[in-house]
Amino acid sequence: MLFSELYSAYYNTVAKILEAAFHPEATEKDLQKCVVEEAFSESVLTILPALRSGRWSLLHEDLSPVLRHRPSMPLTLLEKRWLKAIAEDPRVKLFGVEFPALDDVEPLFTQEDYKVYDKYADGDPFEDETYIRHFRMMLLAIKGDRPVRIRMRNRHGREVWVRFFPKGFEYSLKDDKIRILAAGCKFKQFNLGRVISCDFYDGDGPWKEKPKEERRRELTLLITNERNALERAMLHFAHFEKQAERLEDEKYILRLKYYENDETEMVIRVLSFGPFVKVLEPQSFVDLIKERLAAQKSCELR
Amino acid sequence: MAYSELIKNFEKVRAYMREFYVYGFKSRTEYDVRSARSYDDERRRLESWLGDCMRFTQTAEGKKVFLAVDSREARRNPFYKAWKAKSFTDGDITLHFAIFDVLHTPEVKKSLAGLMDEIDRLLPSGMIFDESTLRKKLKEYAREGIIQIEKDGRRVLYSRSPDTDIAALSDVIDFFSEAAPCGVVGSFLQDRQPEHDGIFWFKHHYITQAMDSDVMAALFEAMHGHRYITVDNLGRWAREVKTIRLVPLKIYISVQNGRQNLIAFQEKTGRFRSYRLDYMSNVRIESESCVKFDALRKALCQAEEHMWGVSCGRSSRHLEHVEFEIRVADDEPFIVKRLEREKRCGHVEKIDENHYRYTADVFDTTEMLPWIRTFICRITRMSFSNRTAENKFKADLQEMYRMYGIDGGDGHAVQ
Repeated sequence: MLFSELYSAYYNTVAKILEAAFHPEATEKDLQKCVVEEAFSESVLTILPALRSGRWSLLHEDLSPVLRHRPSMPLTLLEKRWLKAIAEDPRVKLFGVEFPALDDVEPLFTQEDYKVYDKYADGDPFEDETYIRHFRMMLLAIKGDRPVRIRMRNRHGREVWVRFFPKGFEYSLKDDKIRILAAGCKFKQFNLGRVISCDFYDGDGPWKEKPKEERRRELTLLITNERNALERAMLHFAHFEKQAERLEDEKYILRLKYYENDETEMVIRVLSFGPFVKVLEPQSFVDLIKERLAAQKSCELR
Repeated sequence: MAYSELIKNFEKVRAYMREFYVYGFKSRTEYDVRSARSYDDERRRLESWLGDCMRFTQTAEGKKVFLAVDSREARRNPFYKAWKAKSFTDGDITLHFAIFDVLHTPEVKKSLAGLMDEIDRLLPSGMIFDESTLRKKLKEYAREGIIQIEKDGRRVLYSRSPDTDIAALSDVIDFFSEAAPCGVVGSFLQDRQPEHDGIFWFKHHYITQAMDSDVMAALFEAMHGHRYITVDNLGRWAREVKTIRLVPLKIYISVQNGRQNLIAFQEKTGRFRSYRLDYMSNVRIESESCVKFDALRKALCQAEEHMWGVSCGRSSRHLEHVEFEIRVADDEPFIVKRLEREKRCGHVEKIDENHYRYTADVFDTTEMLPWIRTFICRITRMSFSNRTAENKFKADLQEMYRMYGIDGGDGHAVQ
């Protein structure tokens, strides 16, 4: 269904090459550049040689195109059905864009066909008009590289004003929240859901300020493969940069890198595995686990 | 056969990608393959597609290959590239571009013979296609929705489908390619758009789910038609593949453990059961529809009230009661917020100024244990009707005390 040459890197690259070949001054180097940019690392060995040799009879010997028109292909039914499906996602309202008419197309899936069952319940209000207005304002500022001034509620519940250049958005699938990535201010990001008001800002600002570099830390875990802990842990931590090593007796070492700001989250994620995942390093992280266990012991749970 | 970086069948590479990305500690000799060359070919392909993410390590057991990606750093899921490596013949690619060159606008309509003539005139001599090849390709493209077939009297005419303008959708497609099911289709659409700077990054993003996109799309298709499916399923415990017949009802996606499950009705047992998408392959959609699909889905939605994860139990008569209490200091209102936002069923009540109780009736208590462990340091009381689960929780806790030396204030206590 999905695995088709119609979507392949090769078809796309050949389309780019043919497009480039329509320029009378295009050189072989220009065409090779299309391969490097669009296809896989070994594709240089196949694509252009196949076109040059006439195995794929789409270029003349002088590298001009055989075709009379620039290559193009209509959207496939699958692509239209996916578009129709996302057009029905509540989060799409953020963007305020008109979708092409897809009246005769059935969505690939509907909101009733799937459920993200463990995302947090206090996600952002994606259909709230004020929230949408703030998102679009930030989007315009990012595209226009313009600074903004926002009034927001900080994590202590106090209202504060901040000026910064929005540079992008980070969406957490677990939190179901969007954070605005900032530059020209000492904070790296802001929760979009905490913004009370915002506008473009024409005044001066501390633009040379930089957010504190968010450091990545290494964590070394010992996994004991009982109750399928190996698979559970490897999948659970799959989204981090990591490396695994097998020891003896169904024991494995997992080394991963996490951002220091996420340390508390990492502590509880490790705790969730119980005795099957033990922290080996760093000692500071081991101490965080010990603190929690000692506190738990004091609860005298019977 | 000579090596090619393109492949005909996705299934084999799907297994390798999972091994390299999720685990990555096996050496060459441990892969269950017909020959060492087969392993070498797959590894070389993955390196060609995903070179930036590929890492190697040398150990006493030999060279080990693994994929290392921090999905928070990647704006686009690198694994989508594997879906763009389908092989084809020289004739396929030549004919593809020739067809759409002749049918360059939707207004151009050609009979098979007319199209054949034009293609012959277009392509240099030596590249000849017969009518049946062309007809077959046009039929295939009609199924894909890119060619339209109409009748003009007795003549059959072929034209390209109308173009769809997606120029305004680049941000939408960038976002949903990573945040919606079957996002790889969004990635196909991204390939059609002009190069632009992406503005979205993603956190807690399980990119490995990309490998199961085809299975997921087939399941959606079956659900859409209320159809039965037959599918090959790798048993979780027996580790053997069995072919089973199911009515697929809903896909449950986790953003905390990286798994995707189908909940389906198995007529043979008369029960709902969950099946991991990464263990499924070769989904065949049957022509027979399930007449009670709507009723089954409704029953599943009602069951959700008691589902913590994907365990949907036998019936509401077999529910397990879960209750635990935690202490919350005066300056820790965020802990109460955590309970509220992280609970998926059940309810939270305040006992006194510093204690809260969580209560739920669920199909499977053991699914909740990892979450309850995240409150370690403040659990003051627990009462599960599933005594085995409660004892397991407490025994695990004792084992953790032992592991970390939290044993009655001895020299191993917190430093």
